[in-house]
Amino acid sequence: MSGLIFDIIINSIFASVASTGFAMLFNVPKNALIYCAIGGAMTYIIKDTCMDLGLSIELATFIASAFIGVVALRWSKKFLIPRPVYTVASIIPMIPGTYAFTAMITLVDMNSHGVTPELIEIFIENGLKAISILGAISFGLALTSLYYMRLNRPVI
Amino acid sequence: MTFKYNLIIILKNFLRKEQIIDYEEQSKITRVIIKAAVLMLEFGAESILIEQTAQRLGKALGVDSVEISLIPSAIVLTTLLKGRSATTTRRVHHKPINMSIVCDVQKMVIEIEKDKHDSDWVTTHMKNIQPNYYNRWLVILMVGLACASFSYLYGADIWAFAITFISSSIAMYIRQELSKKRFMLILTFGITAFIATLLSSTSLLFNLTNTPNVVFAASVLLLVPGFPFVTSFLDGFKGYLSMAWGRWLQASLLTIATCMGIILAMSVLNIKGW
Repeated sequence: MSGLIFDIIINSIFASVASTGFAMLFNVPKNALIYCAIGGAMTYIIKDTCMDLGLSIELATFIASAFIGVVALRWSKKFLIPRPVYTVASIIPMIPGTYAFTAMITLVDMNSHGVTPELIEIFIENGLKAISILGAISFGLALTSLYYMRLNRPVI
Repeated sequence: MTFKYNLIIILKNFLRKEQIIDYEEQSKITRVIIKAAVLMLEFGAESILIEQTAQRLGKALGVDSVEISLIPSAIVLTTLLKGRSATTTRRVHHKPINMSIVCDVQKMVIEIEKDKHDSDWVTTHMKNIQPNYYNRWLVILMVGLACASFSYLYGADIWAFAITFISSSIAMYIRQELSKKRFMLILTFGITAFIATLLSSTSLLFNLTNTPNVVFAASVLLLVPGFPFVTSFLDGFKGYLSMAWGRWLQASLLTIATCMGIILAMSVLNIKGW
């Protein structure tokens, strides 16, 4: 059990490094950088824990991104910074980049080497996974602002 | 003393409110508002944020309402004042995403809401907004570390970690050089992916690691267009459908360009499989 917790903590540290690196790629303000790192670690811990409890990757991703959406609302009200600055950097470790790239490469493979049932299987599997995870991330992020839009107020 | 000072401020505000905005002034306000909106759209802000910022800025500068129409390549904006309307259109050229400029515009609007400034102040303030560029070597180091962290999360060993770090750092350097020369984003992404894949193929050629496919996948992750994808979904959920399609297509084109680079490198080296 303690080994599992240790693993999760190490993974979350690496996830926060990844978040910080990508946050610098988007040029976020300097004082928001530390919150991007914290957000990346938090989302990864939540997603890992949910997946260890036996939830599917889509549901775990959805819970994690909905959580970061709520947390980022507090941060953005405190520091007057739009929420996507925090949320997008935090969910970067969960972006299904490998699935998307694999799907695209299989598509080109099918063109050049001929269509086989295996390639179609790989393409559909990876493409569906990428789209459903992306949908889970963005629906989770949008959940808080959709809740507030009903009240007809500015987002931050 | 303070009472006297307060009285002066109250009088000043009263006079400003009574100030009549003529058509000249209204068109000036319109130009200022659309400048702010264009700045936000160019550097990749969410659509709802652009619309709300424009409306808040308009209210603070003294017009009755601001109507905005967004498409991915242009903005049409109308300000209304006592039945009089001023409309203007601006073309938008998308630039690399830069959140610090978006934050600065947002902060400026909040400042104007707090203590009233006029449109001239806004113009000079917007001219002075600096892009908060980090030191480029620091960015290269951090992006290399970020991609290497990804490779760790996908289960890489120590050699795979090192190769990913080196190849993605060099790829990031090349991406910076190319964007300094103002190439199209699609070309930049394709070339960077090509070079990143060439560099990470050393793991396969010299048999350094047991997990070469992780290296291939992780070293091109700096090219994942995460921001356009997420904003496109967020825009779609909030009812800005044409913006959502535009951003989706932009992100998809960048992904395809990246894949083209990867495939080209793989066919040059005659590697198959990922």
